[in-house]
This record gives sequence, structure tokens and C-alpha cells, in this order.
Amino acid sequence: MPSLKCPYGCLSDGTSRLLGMNALDIKDLAKRYPTGVEALRGVSLEIKPGELFGLLGPNGAGKSTLIHCTTGLAQPTSGSIHVFGHDAIADYGEARQAVGLAPQEVNLDWFLTVEETLDYHAGYFGVPKRERRERTKELLETFSLTEKRDERTRTLSGGMKRRLILARAMMHRPQLLILDEPTAGVDVELRLELWHYVQRINQEGTTILLTTHYIEEAEQLCDRLAFINHGEIVGEGTSADLAARYGVDNLEDAYLALVGRKELSRSRIEEPVL
Amino acid sequence: MSAAQIRFATLWRREVNRFMKIKKQTIGAPLLETFLYISVFGAALGSRVGELHGIDYVVFVIPGLIMMSFSTNAFANNSSSILQQKFQGAIQDQLSSPASPMELLLAFSLGGFMRGLIVALLTFIAASLLVDLPVDNVLVLVPSLFLVGFFFSQLGVLIGVRAEQFDDVAFAQTFVLQPLIFLGGVFYSATLLPQPFQTLTHFNPIFYMINLVRYGFVGYTEVSIALSLLALTAATGALFLINLRLFAKGYRLRA
Repeated sequence: MPSLKCPYGCLSDGTSRLLGMNALDIKDLAKRYPTGVEALRGVSLEIKPGELFGLLGPNGAGKSTLIHCTTGLAQPTSGSIHVFGHDAIADYGEARQAVGLAPQEVNLDWFLTVEETLDYHAGYFGVPKRERRERTKELLETFSLTEKRDERTRTLSGGMKRRLILARAMMHRPQLLILDEPTAGVDVELRLELWHYVQRINQEGTTILLTTHYIEEAEQLCDRLAFINHGEIVGEGTSADLAARYGVDNLEDAYLALVGRKELSRSRIEEPVL
Repeated sequence: MSAAQIRFATLWRREVNRFMKIKKQTIGAPLLETFLYISVFGAALGSRVGELHGIDYVVFVIPGLIMMSFSTNAFANNSSSILQQKFQGAIQDQLSSPASPMELLLAFSLGGFMRGLIVALLTFIAASLLVDLPVDNVLVLVPSLFLVGFFFSQLGVLIGVRAEQFDDVAFAQTFVLQPLIFLGGVFYSATLLPQPFQTLTHFNPIFYMINLVRYGFVGYTEVSIALSLLALTAATGALFLINLRLFAKGYRLRA
């Protein structure tokens, strides 16, 4: 009988832990775009079931490319990706079924209503009608979008669009939720609101991969982190591990060391003379 | 329904729902356009032309108009829908789902096919009420219309996937498709043309499609029906395989 958490017959976290299976297992992933840009140069990454994992790096470091390769929006040049044991290329159906993606760019269809957006998404993932209806109702509630259910997505505010994208990613109850810079350009209230959602979803058992370039966000939310720069993973561990690795006091300074901008460290900002 | 059936039904429903939401533009406008053609060429000019090859001019023109509305609507729907979704990025939702290249291609194709079919059917029904429109050979008519619709659905998908801006789609429609359809003999018989235009017409693939559909309705053709059907089947199959390969490779859809 399928577990409650995974009603579409996927492995429960318990089972995958037992099998020693990673939620996401990336090996030597390389991606060269036809333009010649090498976005990823041999990235390896393991995320355990139930983890809240943060991928930190400057703009253009390869974060989105890594995510696109995992979700089928980009095709790896070499290397392998497994999502809960399913090969993202050879066994793409099962692999994508296990992933929910909230992309960095708002990619809603302007002509669909809020409700249709959620309903279609779940349909693409094979969720039966009755469950789609229940899940839509539930997520509209959770993300305070119930009143907007019949509005076209074009008419939503920026914050509502962000919430809708997150709700959409969760419609098919993915085991691995990928959030690509979910709080880029949002106001303080929404950022905190999103953090609460993310933490709750994780506590309910969903593995989360979060990319961000906000240090505070990574520190606050993530169990483990990886630094990515110029298409390579250059550091991995808890925020304390990473600080220790760069011989600094905190994650931000470790990050600055990584991008070669130590001189920007806050510890160097002198007290203003009054 | 199995998960795969739900998936395909939803992909298809999305495409049909898109044009049904804007049906004034996607169904209404082409219907009006067809009836303006019937009024001008059939009723107004037709009374002067009289008969063509023993067939009332208006009856001679209507099959071509039905073929034209099926094809242009199938094409326009799919090319715009795909380009629009690429433009918004919304197509990523389908592309990151478990749907196979075949499922995606068929769903995108069938959206336009449905729209073309609806416009063509409504034109047929309305035309039948206005004039005495025969259906001479239903066994040629139905497969011909089906193939024409599917061919242009595929062509719309191909142009939509290739296109990078709305200008690309408009170019294909206005500068390639429309002239080929108009010069393919919707409004006249190629036998009336002087040389070399009569021979040149035979190099226009749409000329054969119009003849197939016209033969299905009124039983008159200027080309071999069997050969035209065979060529159209081959062309449709080839186009489908090309598209399937592009979808499988993720051409201009997946980075």
C-alpha cells in the first residue's frame, strides 16, 4: 500500500534511507552550452533524503544550470544524475515525477487562472481529478490564494506569483522540492513567509534543494551547504564547516573568500566616527 | 484512467482550452473570414462566372475554403501556442513533467487539429444550409481532410518550435502559406491559367490538397487522387517523424 506521504507509489523516505539511496545524486556533471559556455565542469553532489540543502554561489555560477539538468530543462553534456535512484536521462519519467521545481524566473501562463495553473500541473504528473481538486483547495488555502482562484495569473502581484509557483511545484507531492532563488527580489514579509513554508514542508518530510545568494537565508534554513563557483563545487558542509575551511568566523566571510572579495568583509567596516 | 492517460488528456486539454478561451479570435474570426470569401467569390462574382467544369462556381469554391480554414487554423494555433508558451517560459511546466516527447508532440499537434476541425465543420454545416453542397466521395474526403489537418498541425508545431519571435510565425503564415494556398487553386481551376502558370501550379503541394478535398465534395479533380493521397500521407508521416526527432532531441525547447 502506498504511504500517505507518497500516495503515487514512490518510495517513502524510510525505505530510501534503508536502501542508502540519495534523494539527489549527481556525479561529474558537465554542461557546455552550444555557445561554448561551460556552465558546469564536473559537479558531484549528494543530498540525503529529508535534508534541506543549500547551493550558494554568485550569479552565473551554474546553480540554475544544475537545476535545469536535473529537471530535464537542460541536457547534460556528460555525467549522471539520479533522483531517488532514478536516472534523470534514461529513466526521466520516474525521476521527474519525484521532483517539484519552483524556478527562479516567474514562468506562469498569463492566460490561465490560478486554479487552472495548479490543476494542469498536477494533471501533467498524472494526478487523478479528485485528488487534484483536493490538493488545489489545500494549497490555495496554505498559500493564501483562495480568493484569487479564478483570476488570471497576469493580474497577480509579484508576491502572489511567487507563492503560486511554490504551490504549483508542490501539487504532485514531489519527494524532492527544488527552489531556485525563491526569495530573489521579494519584500521582507514575503521572504519570511516563504522561509516558514520551506521549513514546514521540509519538516513534513520533503527533501529540499534551495539555491540562493543570500547568505542569511542559507544559514537560517539549510542543514548542509555547498558553494558553487565557475561551474564547480568548491566547498561543502555545514556553515561552521565552511567557515572553518576558509579560516573565517562566519559563512559570509567564507563566501567572500570563495569569490575572492575578502576586503568586503563586514568585520572590516570601521565604526563610524561620531 | 492511468497516470499516462491523465497526463496526455491534460496536455491536450490545455491546448484546446487555450483557443476556446479566446474563441472570438480563434473560431469566430476565421468563420467570418470564410463567409466573406463565400459572399464575395461565391454570391457576388459567382453569378457572373456561372459554372466551372459543370459545377456551380460557389460550390466549386467552398471545398477549397474548407480545406483552407482547416489548414490555416491548425497551423496558426500550434505555431502561436508553442511560441507564446516559450516566450513566457510557461512551457517549462510541461517540459519538466514526465511527459514523453511523443506525448508532448501529439498534444501540441492535436490542439491545432481540433481548432481547424471545429472551424472546418462549422463552415461545412453553414455552407450546406446556404447552398446545395454535395459530398460525392466520403472515403476520399474524410482521410484527405484528416491528413491535411494533421499535416498543417505538424507544420505549425515545427514553425512554433523553431521560431524565436512572433515575426517568424507571421512570416511563415503571410509570406509562404497564404500565397501557396491562394495560388493553389482555392478560387479557380488551374486549367484556366495560361502557361507557364498552369505547369507551375503543379509544383505547389497545396494544389494537390485542394484537389483531394474538392474531389471528395464534388467529384472533380485535375490530378490523380491515388497519387495525391499517397504523397500527402508520405509528407505528413515525414513531417511527423522530423518533429518527433526534434522533440526527442529537445531542439530549441531544452537547453
